[in-house]
Parts: sequence; C-alpha cells; structure tokens
Amino acid sequence: MNAIDTAIRAAAASITVKGLTKAYDPQTVVIPPMDVELKAGEFTVVLGPSGCGKSTLLQMIAGLERVSGGKILIGAREVQDLEPKHRGCAMVFQNYALYPHMSVFENMAYSLKVAGMAKAERAERVAAVAKMLGLADYLHRKPGQLSGGQRQRVAIGRAIVREPAVLLFDEPLSNLDAQLRHDMRVELADLHRRIGATTVFVTHDQVEAMTLADRIMILNKGRIEQFDTPKAIYHHPASVFVAKFIGAPPMNILPVTGDGSALRLADGQVVANAPLTGAYQLGIRPEDIVVDGKADGHAVKAALRFREDLGSHSVLAADLGGSIVRVATPFGADIADRLELLLNFPTSRLHLFDVATGRAIPGAFGAQ
Amino acid sequence: MIENARSLNIAASLILLIGMLYILGPLYLTLATATQSYEFLLRNGLAWYPGDQFLNNVARIFTETRIPIQMLNSLAVAFSLAIATCVLSFLSAYAIVYFRIRWAGIAFALILATIMLPVDIRVITTYQVASNVFSPVNALLDVTGLNGLIAEAFGAPVQLELSVLNTHFGLIAPLVAHGTGTFLFRQFFLTLPKDLFKAARMDGAGPVRFMFDILLPLSRTSFAALFVLTFLSGWTQYLWPLVASSTPDMQTALVGLARLLPDSDGEVPDFPMIMAGAVIVSLVPLLMIALLQRYLVQGLVLSEK
Repeated sequence: MNAIDTAIRAAAASITVKGLTKAYDPQTVVIPPMDVELKAGEFTVVLGPSGCGKSTLLQMIAGLERVSGGKILIGAREVQDLEPKHRGCAMVFQNYALYPHMSVFENMAYSLKVAGMAKAERAERVAAVAKMLGLADYLHRKPGQLSGGQRQRVAIGRAIVREPAVLLFDEPLSNLDAQLRHDMRVELADLHRRIGATTVFVTHDQVEAMTLADRIMILNKGRIEQFDTPKAIYHHPASVFVAKFIGAPPMNILPVTGDGSALRLADGQVVANAPLTGAYQLGIRPEDIVVDGKADGHAVKAALRFREDLGSHSVLAADLGGSIVRVATPFGADIADRLELLLNFPTSRLHLFDVATGRAIPGAFGAQ
Repeated sequence: MIENARSLNIAASLILLIGMLYILGPLYLTLATATQSYEFLLRNGLAWYPGDQFLNNVARIFTETRIPIQMLNSLAVAFSLAIATCVLSFLSAYAIVYFRIRWAGIAFALILATIMLPVDIRVITTYQVASNVFSPVNALLDVTGLNGLIAEAFGAPVQLELSVLNTHFGLIAPLVAHGTGTFLFRQFFLTLPKDLFKAARMDGAGPVRFMFDILLPLSRTSFAALFVLTFLSGWTQYLWPLVASSTPDMQTALVGLARLLPDSDGEVPDFPMIMAGAVIVSLVPLLMIALLQRYLVQGLVLSEK
C-alpha cells in the first residue's frame, strides 16, 4: 500500500442525508423527504429505472443541484449550502467530461492547480495516481488520443487525485462496450478495495449493482424501496418493485388467494400451506422452482409455452393459471417436447407481498 | 453523382471560364491601369496592358492624398470592430448556453434578429442616435411626461446631448451589434461535452475560471474565424463610414478612395492613381486572409478537434 492509497482511505467520510427533498415545483416532486446514512469507506450503488431521481440525488450530494429542503452531512459537516469545491466530493461523469485541450497530466492536475497546490507537489500526486491506474505512459497525451477505457481511467484519476472525502460516479460505464464494461467493473472493484473511498455509484444496470456494491439503494420515484446488501436484496426483496427489478429473468409474481389454510392460484391449485385469508402476491425466483423433482413444497401443473436455451441453463416459460411463469433449469433437461410440466414450489423459497402496498410480508411461511 | 460525359465537361469548363473572366477581367483592368500614367489614360482610356508607372502612382497616393491616414482609420475601425464583436459574441453565447436564464430563448431570438437588420437598413435611425446618443432618453422622458414635471420644477426640460458622429467610437459601435458571432459561438459550445461545465465546477473552477481555462482555449479557432470575417466586413464598410464621418481625416480608406473622383463634371478622373490606391487598400484584407485562412476554415466547420 503506498501513500496515496492511505491518504484516500484517511479522507473517506460518511454521508448522512436528513429529510432531503427535491422539487422543481409543488407538482413535480423528484425526491420526497429522504433519510439515509452511507458509512465511511462504503461502496453504495444507487439503482433504479430512468427518472427515479438517482442522478438528482447524486448531483445534490455533489452540489451541482440545489436542494429543496433537508440536510446533507459529509462527515460531521453540513454541506447542502456549500459550493461543490468546498464539499470534498469528486465526480466521474457518464461521458467522462475530460478537458479536450489538456493533456492527461493537465486534466488530472487541474483541480490541484485551481486549489493552489505547488507545482512539484502536484506532479508528485498525479504521478502516484497515474501509476496506480496504469496511466503513467500516457500523461502527455490528449484525451482524443486515448481509448474509451483509458479515458475512463483518466476520469477516475482526475477524481481521486484530490483525495476526496466522497467519490461519486454517474453511470460511468454506460458508454463502454460489453467487454470493456466488464473489465472496468473488475478494475473499479479492485480500486475500491485498495483505496477504500466512500463511493456513491449511480447506475440502472443491476449487474454493476450486484457485483460492485457493499450495499445497494434501490430508488423508485425518488423513494428508497430497499437499502441493503446485494445478497439480502436478492434473497429478501422488500417489495414487488425490488423483486421484479433484480434478477434476470426477474422474480415471478403470481396472484394468489388464501382460504384460511392454503394459498391457491387463480385456477384453484394449491401452492403453499399458510393460515392466511384474502388476496396476496406470491413471488418465486425462476431458479428456485423445481421441475418434476421432489422438494418440500406443493407441485402444480403448468403448460409449457416456449423455452430458451442459454448454454449455462435453459429458461422455460409456462402458463400457470393464466400468468406466465419463468423457470430456470439445467441446460438440456429432458423436457423438450412435453406440453405439461409439474412445477414444485419449495415453501422456503416463497415470498409473499401485500397486494395494495407491494411490500413484503416477512415470516408468512415460518422462518426463512 | 459525378457525370463523366465529355460534352458536359466542355460546357461546364466553358461556363467556369466565362465566370472567371467576369471576375478577373476588372481585376486585371485595375492592375493594368494602376501601372500607366495619367497622360496614357487621357490618350487611350483604361489600359489593357501594363506600363511602368506603378511605383510613381503609389508614391502619389502617399504624397497627394489622405489615403495613408484613412487606411489607419480603416485599420482602427476594422480591428476594434473585430475585437469588440468577438468579445461580445463570446460572452453572450457563454451566458445563453451555460446559464439557466429566464427568457434565454427570447434573448437569443432577438440577437438573431439583428442579423436581419444590417446597418444599411437602419442607417437613418442609427444616424439620428449617433448624432445624439441621449436622444432615446430624451424621447422617453418626453413620452412619459416626466419632462413636463421636470420643466415645472426646475424651469426647463431635460435635453441631454452627446454626438459620436465623426469619432472612431461612432464609426464602430453601430456595427458591433450583430448576432452572427453569438450564433457561431453558441453552435460551437453546443458541440462540446455537456458535462464539461459541471466537471470544472467539481474541480473547483467557478464560471470565470471555466471561461478562461476551458472555454477560451477550446474556442481559439472559432475566435480566429470570427475575427477574420468581422475584420473584412469592417474594412469593406462603405455606407456607414460615409454618413458617420464628415472630415477627411476621420474617413475610412474606402470612402477616401471614392472621394478621389473629382466633384466637377467633365474632368477626367486620375484613374491610374485611383487604381493604385485601390490596390494598396486591398492589400490589408488580402494579407489577413493569407495569414489566417487555415483558422477561417477550421472555425467555420464548427466542431471540436
């Protein structure tokens, strides 16, 4: 571990948001009052569909967007009324936003120059960061002469050279092709492990969220649907929205009715035993459904509609009481020409959601 | 589509040739006449072949006319016009593109409207304002009735007066108000990455620093292109300098050239000397284009390198 790593780790600060709101006018509220705390050194991914307010939240933390109400604390300091340069944040933009007329070195040194740092110290800092990011050989080049991945690295270098308290990413990988995106994801994860900066990373890509995050914050219309570790979000989604947003293919959501002792599908088949009455939404992940085999749950009959062979596994789509259920099975399972499937829903893998609110009902099937 | 028919090629070349003759003919006539003597002109009319009196004619321009001082005037007007237009256009485009201003769209539309109102159209009203820059204020005071009140209170109405006619400022200012430059810069700014401004803010650079450190270096070629275009238009202005300047020492070279024609009828103008003057006066814009033509093209392509 060299000096710059330690310095960045030391600078990392927590972010506390209290009653933060953003509204352009009383009718268009982008973010209703929000309270959340991001720990120092934590890698938080803000995930949500476009228009959910995730970029607005990031820009408010950065100071590029005015807050309509509430407080933002970085460390113990209230920053919501400060200029961006006084907040100790650095940001990596979607289209890099490198200065086209400056060399890589000048791009990275610019913020230090504006801050009035001595020339020798500037050069030393930039050199250390460039070495860490593998940019040492490109310092004299202009951004126009670099590849997409290299530009991305310069943008990251420009951000961390200031040893920021908070590192902000605004969909930084969405401009890259699939292969490069994968490589940069690995690089980013590795970088965070080394420097430990408090990071807020905005994306609409669930793979980036699952692989990079310490905790994922899922936003829907400006509200936090769930804020938890990737594992908890995957296995215990707090709402139908989260359940459908995470996973490919997403979790199956089926309307069920409780008759006091069992939950029944629309066509009357029993999927689980539970002392519940009324309408609910039942969720189960495609890979948790067992085809034909024995499991600790009820088996239901479904009609096979089509199958997609993906190499690592196959995805079957079956008609179950009028709704389509997706089932992930091992590749090449011997079910090619059959029209009727027997699907086993393991009770321990079931999720139950309230119809009106969409929130999860924990413990509906005993301890999970 | 590229046609390769032989007959078409010949026809096209012929049209091109006629066009070139149409343009180069008078130019040749100018150059040839500039090298002949006044006596030659009196005997033969305009010259179709060059003589040996060019240097003599040039010397007479410098000794017998006010063209040299008028060229300095032209230089001052064209240079100041170019600088003022560049600075003003850059700043207004910066404001329109990078700041959330109420009515920015309307402001930009009004700026564009000035392109449709060159000085040739508004020459009479512009002359009125130039002869007394406070005349709009006076008119406003009269119309609103404020002057009536002032006259009652102080015994006389307010009548401010300041004429900028026959000054360099008066020659330049009415020409600066022109939206082309703002449009040019605006289009260029829109081609730049849109997060640049935010990135600079995150780096701690405020709006002024962003302008000097980022925007200005990136706009170099646009500046050069606009500078050349405005300089040329300033140098070749005729109507406004004609009405706005009354003494020979304040006139521009183009007006001075026209004034070399004798006022009385029946006298044969000294065309060799006038043509020599025309050649000298043309040298400055020619030099300008020769030196900066690279930027002229680059800047008008309107994109970041």
